[in-house]
Amino acid sequence: MLVALAEQNSTSERLKQGITQVLSIIDGLHQPWLDGMELLEDAQWNKRILSMGCERIDMFLQGGLHEGHLTELVGPSSSGKTQVCLRAASSVAKNYLDSVLFLDTCNSFSPKRIAQIVGQISDSDNKEVNKVIQRVMNSIVYHAVFDIYTLLNVLHRLEFNLRSQKGSQVRLLIVDSISSLISPILGGNGTNGRALMTSAGILLKKLAQQHNFAVLVTNHMVAGERGILKPALGESWKSIPHVRLQLSRDHGSNICNMSIIRHPLMASGEEVKFMIL
Amino acid sequence: MEVSRLPLSASQRGKLIYAGYTSLSSLSSVSSSELARDLNVSETEALEILKVASYSGWLDGTSGSHAIVNGAQTAWDMLHEEELLRRITTSSADLDDILGGGISCKEVTEIGGVPGIGKTQLGIQLAVNVQIPANYGGLGGKAIYIDTEGSFMVERVLQIAEACLEDMLDYDVLLHKGVQACQVKMQPKDFLANIYYFRICSYTELIAVINYLEKFISEHKDVKVVIVDSITFHFRQDFEDMALRTRLLSGMALKLMKLAKKFTLAVILLNQVTTKYSEGSFHLTLALGDSWSHACTSRLILYWNSNERYAYIDKSPSLRSASSPYSVTGRGIRNSTSNCKRIKMM
Repeated sequence: MLVALAEQNSTSERLKQGITQVLSIIDGLHQPWLDGMELLEDAQWNKRILSMGCERIDMFLQGGLHEGHLTELVGPSSSGKTQVCLRAASSVAKNYLDSVLFLDTCNSFSPKRIAQIVGQISDSDNKEVNKVIQRVMNSIVYHAVFDIYTLLNVLHRLEFNLRSQKGSQVRLLIVDSISSLISPILGGNGTNGRALMTSAGILLKKLAQQHNFAVLVTNHMVAGERGILKPALGESWKSIPHVRLQLSRDHGSNICNMSIIRHPLMASGEEVKFMIL
Repeated sequence: MEVSRLPLSASQRGKLIYAGYTSLSSLSSVSSSELARDLNVSETEALEILKVASYSGWLDGTSGSHAIVNGAQTAWDMLHEEELLRRITTSSADLDDILGGGISCKEVTEIGGVPGIGKTQLGIQLAVNVQIPANYGGLGGKAIYIDTEGSFMVERVLQIAEACLEDMLDYDVLLHKGVQACQVKMQPKDFLANIYYFRICSYTELIAVINYLEKFISEHKDVKVVIVDSITFHFRQDFEDMALRTRLLSGMALKLMKLAKKFTLAVILLNQVTTKYSEGSFHLTLALGDSWSHACTSRLILYWNSNERYAYIDKSPSLRSASSPYSVTGRGIRNSTSNCKRIKMM
């Protein structure tokens, strides 16, 4: 249509040239289509399933975290979310040579605890363990994030660095917790906060899909109607994660309960109990 | 390397491309004032763009071994850093035990409990203890005390400081038996001089002070603890819009987290309790609701157990939940007397 418009204008040979150029660029930008077989191949070869370092959880989730998926852990304060994150980080860093990127908003990343967990999950003698701990801890990369703009900035940089194929690959990206970044900007009259939240979600999903790593984020619980707890961030975030798991813990015990709220492959409502040591 | 792949905002990228800067090499030779003129933006913004561009160019050429994201640290480095960190003692050995040696720097710790349980006492004790010099196992730092309730009693601080000094002298004698003990150079008054006190009368003032803290602390680098007594007070009254309250509180929590991390200091938030109705009965929980409960790194709950004061670790990324008794004495926070078999040390 634009071409036709340009033809009507007599002095617009250059304009027409420009427009065809633009059109060809637009054509080149869209992603190539894939058929189901290619998708299956991609899923089988490029998307691994990462163990979370706890046998019961891995069995429960049919192997653990799926690469390419955005998994969300929700739960009230002190329900074991960070512990699951630290455990998954240690386990993935131990089993693969690639990095684990840990984005922390609550200063709750405890290197001492990581060392302890790595000691627990590796079954070699003392001398070996120290080596393993050093290797594992060197491949866990930590970044403190205190506002949503920094998060977006870090993710853009990550995308840039991964695309330019420099540095090592990432296997797992953890954001603990995403809701404390978003809740200060969400709500009120503006829709800006919601836009930022959605773009962070989309960016996370895109990175996970394109670069074959798993994303694990944590979310809070807030009081909903009649005081019943519900996941924070509301309806528009609800549709973003692929997998949504709810954690709870009885007061004073170290036995946690994990149940599925949403999972593409499994029925929701199933539960498993595990212990935090 | 194209400009369109730079980590810039879409409008900045658009302006760059519009002005003909399509590749990084075209940006490399331009000055910030020229760029500002061509792009019709302020010079600072142009400088910003050039910085991003030069950084990306540098990254493109020489990439470190684990340069996934700049500014990131590996857990291994952090472990060594953490080992060097000192903790702030609470003056009660039992309490320090369950806290893994005291209140941790780089963390935001929330302390909650019923009125009269000793929250403010613990706050004052920490403000004094943070000043214990390094050769006595302390941090030798200074304290910021943000008082919203008006419960900071300066006479009491003097009392606690004097007791703390006496303990330090005892420690000296214990350590250098017979030998002429090196004199403690500090005076109780020095303890008072090293506490920066802010009196807050409304939540707007509280937010303003917390925003100001970053500047204040970068001028006073030896501040090692920030105590807010209490975070709740002004947020419990005259708030119509609860969503606004949640936003303000979570924004404030993030700022405090940032302070704790950036200046490796401990942030102590004192919180009140409230009754909550759930599952058919009333029970006590901390005030400010469920969304606030995520705002701290670790949480200590103070409660009465028959006639004894107890502290319970309710949340911590690295410590097990545990509880221990303590008591509030004329000299400050100390071990509970009923099972005080250990020698009081500091």
